[in-house]
Amino acid sequence: MTKKETGEAPLTPAVLHILLALSMGERHGYGIMKQVEADSEGKVKMGPGTLYGSMGRMMEAGLIRESDKRVDPQMDDERRIYYKLTGAGRAALEAELERYRGVVLVAEGRLAYGS
Amino acid sequence: MAPDHAGRHYRTLYSTLLRLYPRPFHDRFGESMEQTFHDLCRERECARRELFWFLTWIFCETLADILRENMTRMSELGKTTLRVALVALGLLMVPLVASRMVAGWNWRAGSFVIVYFLFFATGMAYAMIARKMGAWSYKAGVGVALAAGFALGWSNMVHVADSENPANLLYYSVLVVGGIGAWLARMEPRGLARTLFAMAATLTLIAVMLPSGAPPYLARNMAIGHSLLVALFATSGLLFRHASLAGLK
Repeated sequence: MTKKETGEAPLTPAVLHILLALSMGERHGYGIMKQVEADSEGKVKMGPGTLYGSMGRMMEAGLIRESDKRVDPQMDDERRIYYKLTGAGRAALEAELERYRGVVLVAEGRLAYGS
Repeated sequence: MAPDHAGRHYRTLYSTLLRLYPRPFHDRFGESMEQTFHDLCRERECARRELFWFLTWIFCETLADILRENMTRMSELGKTTLRVALVALGLLMVPLVASRMVAGWNWRAGSFVIVYFLFFATGMAYAMIARKMGAWSYKAGVGVALAAGFALGWSNMVHVADSENPANLLYYSVLVVGGIGAWLARMEPRGLARTLFAMAATLTLIAVMLPSGAPPYLARNMAIGHSLLVALFATSGLLFRHASLAGLK
């Protein structure tokens, strides 16, 4: 597990989007994909390889964990594994958003000074 | 090809591709990845959007992650091998130093090579098996079983060499029972618990049935040794049973 997935360093875009998707509640893999697509207004498209590869590393780092296996009433009769954010995951997301706020503040100040 | 039939066909192909993932990753995410793939195909088909290039992208993207996961695993395996090799070297120092200090300890170079190989093989077996499950009881069970198996194999090898009694080779049947049991159980804790209890029973049976022919003072020591090994195998069995029950909760 690299520092990128632990919250000590900037998170990768995939990890950030997965944390963001799960911050609204438990989701299964396809649900996370759809939420990421909606959050990014279709700009971020994640394939199953990137999604589950990132989730594997995030689970090792304790950012997310499996919740339970159940049927999604809106889909079919297949039982799916749901994933949820852990306390460490929420803290990593908040730290990343704080870092973004700092960057935005600096960038806005520079742009205002430049114009 | 009807849409649902096509979906099933693609899912089978994707399922075959997923088998290229390292086994632990496949066991953990394989089924979910298949479901997600199926959901994506269905969404695409319901919206009547083109499928071929989309699937090509999914297959390539998954293949890239398969390469990444396998490279990570190989790198972890390399580190584990190096660590075990160093620990085995450290353990080898014990007989190496002892042979210099204890009178009558005259091992040939080949004996040290065999001992190093045994240490290394036991260490690697622990590293490979113990990672299959995160439960402490499973890891402890593997450690106790390997330590007891190593002690049995080692002491019997020395005993057979000293006594030159081929009947003692029967003790190796305990290790054979362990090997076959572990293979049949596919390293699952429930099956391993049964295997370790079977090993304890086999050793008890051999100890009771096989006449040792040893003098009384030696026979007492052998009985203590047998009891200790039986207790270790049984303890390992109980630890696997605990891991199995913990896994069910």
